[in-house]
Amino acid sequence: MYLVPEGDELEIANAAAEFIASALPINRLHTAGNADMNGAVRSQLAEMGWFALALPEDKGGSGLTAVEHALFFREIGRQCGPVDILAQALAAMVCKSADVRDALVSGTASAAVLVPEGNRHRLIGSASATHGLLVTPQSASLHEMAQANIEARPALDPANSLALVENLPAPAESQDGAHIWRLGQIGSAAMQVGLAEAALDLIVEYAKVRETFGKAIGSWQAVRHTCADMAVMTEAARAELWYAATAMKEDRGDMEAHVDAAKHLANEAALKATDSNIQLHGGIGVTDEHDAHLLMKHAALLSRLFGSRQYLLSRLLHAKLED
Amino acid sequence: MDLRYSDQDREFRARARQWLQANIPQERRPASGKAASQFDRDWQKKLHDHGWAGVAWPKEYGGHGLSGLQQVIWYEELSRAHAPAQHVSTTYVALMHAGPTLMARGTKDQKTFHLPRILSGEALWCQGFSEPNAGSDLAALKTKGTVDGDHIVVNGAKTWTTDAMHADFMELLVRTDPASERHKGLTWMICDMKTPGIDIKPIRTMLMDDHVNTVFFDDVRVPLANVVGEVNKGWSTAMATLSFERGLGFIADQLELLEKVGRAIELAGELRLADGRLAIEDDEIARRLGSIKADTMAIRAMTLADIAETDRTGIPGPKGSMMKLMVTTTHKALSQLVGDMLGWGFMEFDGDRASNPWTHDYLWSWVFSIAGGTNEIQREITADHVLKLPRSR
Ligand SMILES: Cc1cc2nc3c(=O)[nH]c(=O)nc-3n(C[C@H](O)[C@H](O)[C@H](O)COP(=O)(O)OP(=O)(O)OC[C@H]3O[C@@H](n4cnc5c(N)ncnc54)[C@H](O)[C@@H]3O)c2cc1C
Repeated sequence: MYLVPEGDELEIANAAAEFIASALPINRLHTAGNADMNGAVRSQLAEMGWFALALPEDKGGSGLTAVEHALFFREIGRQCGPVDILAQALAAMVCKSADVRDALVSGTASAAVLVPEGNRHRLIGSASATHGLLVTPQSASLHEMAQANIEARPALDPANSLALVENLPAPAESQDGAHIWRLGQIGSAAMQVGLAEAALDLIVEYAKVRETFGKAIGSWQAVRHTCADMAVMTEAARAELWYAATAMKEDRGDMEAHVDAAKHLANEAALKATDSNIQLHGGIGVTDEHDAHLLMKHAALLSRLFGSRQYLLSRLLHAKLED
Repeated sequence: MDLRYSDQDREFRARARQWLQANIPQERRPASGKAASQFDRDWQKKLHDHGWAGVAWPKEYGGHGLSGLQQVIWYEELSRAHAPAQHVSTTYVALMHAGPTLMARGTKDQKTFHLPRILSGEALWCQGFSEPNAGSDLAALKTKGTVDGDHIVVNGAKTWTTDAMHADFMELLVRTDPASERHKGLTWMICDMKTPGIDIKPIRTMLMDDHVNTVFFDDVRVPLANVVGEVNKGWSTAMATLSFERGLGFIADQLELLEKVGRAIELAGELRLADGRLAIEDDEIARRLGSIKADTMAIRAMTLADIAETDRTGIPGPKGSMMKLMVTTTHKALSQLVGDMLGWGFMEFDGDRASNPWTHDYLWSWVFSIAGGTNEIQREITADHVLKLPRSR
């Protein structure tokens, strides 16, 4: 029993952190046109094998587990990384066809997330993605998007484009079961934890230097106590994320409950931390040039993926837990 | 990371479960008075006689030297078996912080005399830190200790002293250097509660009980041999005590929460609301329950992460204050929610925890968030020591 990342896990996390901070720094989002994963970043990520982290070895992947998957996407979250990175990694796992899989893993094909919306579908990610990935708790399917009728929509969150899809083509590939959904939950929960941590780091640093009434704002209790509450929620979400990812790695009987709980807690922590981060920055916090709104908008986007609050909480209610 | 238990862990859990099933007291714990403390002593003695006392205490001090993880397993099995609640037990101070303080800072004689008595339930302890004008600001304390030969003579008053009337000994913190200020000049000592000059006055609380007290000291002579740590260096010993109290002090309660959430969910499937629906059919109640369950799962994950880390490094992390915040707020949310479900049943209360544990829990939620350092102070500690923000004081 050990619930803190260690050894190889830490090495992977550190390597990911370093790479993502240079390839996808959050400040890219202050320049227009940087939504989604561009071709160059996709090739770089592919080259380093990040899309194949949790893909089994016999399918050309690294054969790592939900734990490494979580560690990687937490770093993506810290830089407000686009969700098409998650789509790309999950899509490769859905493929039975080696050609499409290899194309996704090597970055010559690309994926975006699809979510049902009325009788249409919402597309999150690049409208020029070759594939759309639709994941539900029951199954995952991959759709070729070349012929799809895509209507671009304005996006609140600059990290990802939004579009609506009319007449989604029949799936090119599909897989039954909840495996991809769970990895999507873990990946998006990890991104939320990364966002919460980034928000907490930003405000703690600012609170040490910004002065009012002759004192650092970090010495005012309204600020200190809000930061402490952010820290508690973030710590709770992180601990449950590690638990859930490890439960999934070990295929424990109660893993689904822990994954649902992890996603729920991560949503709550990210929404609260990114909100308080803006508030405690004062006026500068609402400016376009600051990172604070980027974190908040991305947290809002991620909280809409892989299970609504209502869905997660109602499932949790009756879930049995193991020791 | 891994969540696997070793064979020894599994075997330990099975053995604990089996023993507890057969040995949990069948009679209710009396609500108050000597009968209550006798019940606690008897239960502790039974645990001790059957080899279940001091699971994680070192063997040299009469414990079993098991790992922190096995201690977690033990507490989980206690709550699963509906064993007498830890937080209301009069053995709490002795087991959770007096014993550990003596292990860390006591002399050989102090350990030899006291530790076996604590484990067997023979000696109950209370904590004499807070005063009328020194609570959050503990370093403002004024109770005076004057060295006189081989004794320290104590004059003054302690307050909020839980279970003082039941205790055999007190963790007594006094100012021995009259010229000193704040943290300097304090001394931590073991005070025998039978010493002449001690007068205990109960304080009636909103829980309809008298479990806290004001304790008056009139020329109370405490042998110098009872000083733990050094004379005038008691602040350091007191910080050790508080680190035990705030570190693992809540472990039983934090692990019991999952069990309580399970009971609340069962209850929601049985209770009818005023409009005739089952409580669980109400969306708001269902969501609150789900969200509290998630918080409770996180508390368990935080506990396991902390324990595993401490088992490996030997050093407890700085996160006890964050844990206390998380546990106390979740505990309050749960008892409030059950209160909403119970309707008028929640309003019937005569002070006896056994007859209405949910209402008692609700009232206790303020004890949790005030005693042992208020939640505001826990936020201060988190801001200082975890986030390293500039000091507010
Ligand atoms: C049921 C119960 C049992 C107890 N048992 C014991 C016991 O056995 N032994 C013992 O020694 N003590 C015991 N205590 C005392 C407890 O530790 C103190 O009550 C607690 O530390 C708060 O001190 P206070 O009551 O003086 O409140 P105060 O310190 O006067 O605080 C009043 C309010 O101000 C807030 N506050 C104070 N300072 C700050 C600050 N710097 N920043 C922000 N907010 C602040 C507090 O959070 C609180 O809300 C017990 C208390 C209770 C309620």
